[in-house]
Amino acid sequence: MEETTDINRELMLDANATAGVLYEIFGVEMTASTTGCANCGNEGEVGAQPAFVQGPGIVLRCSTCENVVLRIVQTPEATYLDARGAVYLRLAR
Amino acid sequence: MKQTLDWQVASIKDIKPETATVKSFTLTLPAWMRHRAGQHYDIRLTAEDGYQAQRSYSIASEPEREGEVDLTVERINDGEVSTYMHEVLLPGDRIEARGPIGGYFVWEAAMAEPLLLIAGGSGVVPLMSMIRHRAAAGARNPTCLLYSSRNFEDIIYYNELEKLRATNGGLQIFHTLTRSQPSGWKGYARRIDPEMLKEVAQPLGKSVQVFICGPTLLVEGVANALVKIGIKSDQIRTERFGPTGG
Repeated sequence: MEETTDINRELMLDANATAGVLYEIFGVEMTASTTGCANCGNEGEVGAQPAFVQGPGIVLRCSTCENVVLRIVQTPEATYLDARGAVYLRLAR
Repeated sequence: MKQTLDWQVASIKDIKPETATVKSFTLTLPAWMRHRAGQHYDIRLTAEDGYQAQRSYSIASEPEREGEVDLTVERINDGEVSTYMHEVLLPGDRIEARGPIGGYFVWEAAMAEPLLLIAGGSGVVPLMSMIRHRAAAGARNPTCLLYSSRNFEDIIYYNELEKLRATNGGLQIFHTLTRSQPSGWKGYARRIDPEMLKEVAQPLGKSVQVFICGPTLLVEGVANALVKIGIKSDQIRTERFGPTGG
C-alpha cells in the first residue's frame, strides 16, 4: 500500500469511534442512522463518516465531499453542537 | 430501539496477556446487555482531582457469553487509559464502563453472505468477536480472515485462530508478517497489496461483506484497493484507529 504523510488522514477515525458521545447527546445509538450532507446531498450512515477527534472538539465530515457535517464541543458545563452541515439526522425511536 | 447506556462499575474478573503489548481483560458487568459482534465499550478513568480520560475499546468476546465481556487492549506508549489498564489494573479491581455501543461496524450470524475480515495489528479484536460469534452460532457462511502483523510474536489469538480454523467449516485464515518472519514461514511476508486481496477475496464471490479494522493508512489502502478490484463500497465497512488514542 502507498504511504501518505498527510497528518490529517493519519489522525482520521470513523464516526463509529464517537458512538458513545453521540449517544450521550441524542439519547439513541446514532452510528447506523442516516444523515444527509448539506453540501453535496450524499446520504449515508453516520458511522461511515470520517471523524477527527484529536482537537478540542469532534468534527465529522461527509464521506463523499468532506464537508463538515457535525461539530461537537463538550465543556464541563455544556455540549455545543453545530449541525449546519447536515440536512437532517435520523434518530431511531 | 431504545436502550439505556449509563456508566456502570465493572469488575475485572481476569487479565490474560496475549502478546508483549496486548492483554485481554474480562469484565463482569452488573447491567450486562447482549452485544453485537463489532461493538465496543467506553472505559472511563477519573483521577482524584476530577480529571477524566475516556477511550473506546472493541469487544473481543462472542455475544453468547452472558454477564461478561472480554476487551483486548493494546498498550500505547503514553496512552493514559491503556497504560493504566496494563500496569495498574488487577483482577478484582473495578472500572467504569459504558456499552455496548456502535451500530455500524457490526456483523451478526444471521447475515448469510460470505465474509471477508481484514485486520492490521490490534484491529483484529472486533473481527475476533465476529469469528467467535460465528463459531458459537454455528454459522456456515464462507469466511476469510486476512491478518497483517509486524512479527510472528505480535499476532494476537494465534493459537485460538488455528483451533477455530481446524474445527469451523468454511473458515480460512491468512497471516501476513510485514517486518520479520520465522524460518519456514508459509504465510504472506509483505504489506497487504491488491494482488493479495484478489487472492483472498475472489473465492468469496461478488456478494462478499467486508469488514476492515486497523491503522488508518492500512484501512484506507485496503478499502480503495478492494473497490478497484470490483467490490462495491457499500459492501465494505471500516473501523480506523489513529496512531495516538490509547
